[in-house]
Amino acid sequence: MSARIDSLEAPLLVTWQLTRDCDLACMHCCTESAPGKALAGELTRDEALRLAADIVANRVPYVMLCGGEPLVSPHFFDVAEALGAAGVALKIETNGQRLDAKAVRRLAALPVRSVQVSLDGDTQETYARQRAGGSLAKAHAACRALQAAGLPLEITFAPTRINIAEAEAVIGRARSFGAFRFNTGKLMRIGTAARHWRRLEPSEHQYREFRALLDRQAAIPGMELCYEPFRMEDGLRRSAAEPPATLLVLPNGWVKVAAALPHICADLRRMPLAEAWESYRNAWRSATVAAAAREAIAIEVRHERANAWQPLSVNA
Amino acid sequence: MSEKVRKPKTPQQPAIRKPAARRKARWETPKMQDVSDEVMAQPYIRFT
Repeated sequence: MSARIDSLEAPLLVTWQLTRDCDLACMHCCTESAPGKALAGELTRDEALRLAADIVANRVPYVMLCGGEPLVSPHFFDVAEALGAAGVALKIETNGQRLDAKAVRRLAALPVRSVQVSLDGDTQETYARQRAGGSLAKAHAACRALQAAGLPLEITFAPTRINIAEAEAVIGRARSFGAFRFNTGKLMRIGTAARHWRRLEPSEHQYREFRALLDRQAAIPGMELCYEPFRMEDGLRRSAAEPPATLLVLPNGWVKVAAALPHICADLRRMPLAEAWESYRNAWRSATVAAAAREAIAIEVRHERANAWQPLSVNA
Repeated sequence: MSEKVRKPKTPQQPAIRKPAARRKARWETPKMQDVSDEVMAQPYIRFT
């Protein structure tokens, strides 16, 4: 197999979960984040800064900082500023609860391509049912602060039985904040979402209506609607055919082959990024990953195993 | 590594080793313009 990743000397994107800790306890969370749920052995500040320096040295152009809630990490800005000062483009995924004017000013000094704020409801009642502990007013205030600072705002919406009736209102809200993109797709059956699946999974009818809404909204100019591939299985099928040039880094420095698969192909605490990149490329050639991908494409319930991480031996 | 060895014309002349033409570099440096919209839009962990 000759894939695009085999011609690149480093990934195009590093998706880096800085911490599993979060200030909200969302029912739909695919990383099983919640207050106090930092992963054992998360990278320390020094280790995280070493990884940031390695990312810069390898000329990775784009880094997404996420979590958990990345702003809960005490070294979030240290990492973001180390990367940004070296010219690495950034995407930040946040719930917006801590994104006040001061935080937005610090981000505005960096080469930020997107700040993605989760808006999983358009009323406080719905939002807080899905995002326990969350304040919709704070999330909206974060969006306004980003808009005022001229930072590119992206909204994400995780559809569930709880909030899907408010999808159209959330899309309208995103437009009112000047968001350049609205990002959604089928709910992922991973982590906390898998545990609450019966209470969360929208019905087939709800999904049909939701897709029709997205199609209608996509025809309206002013904001991109991004919802393809809609299902995790379709995304995985694409990845199996053409593996993305992306390293998904867990808070402890482990590298996951794909969000829907449990396999760990590298440990950035113990090896340099270049070696992890080689292991990742080898992982996509392994029979184990190919078989697991085929299974996850065919059987959605298999996604529930995605957080039961399994080290994969993929020596060159 | 492949290389051509030109035999000396006289016993006094040393052999001249001519390196094969340099192969095209295998690796591309990743560039921001190669990051597709899809990669930019679709986080690999989508719903946190």
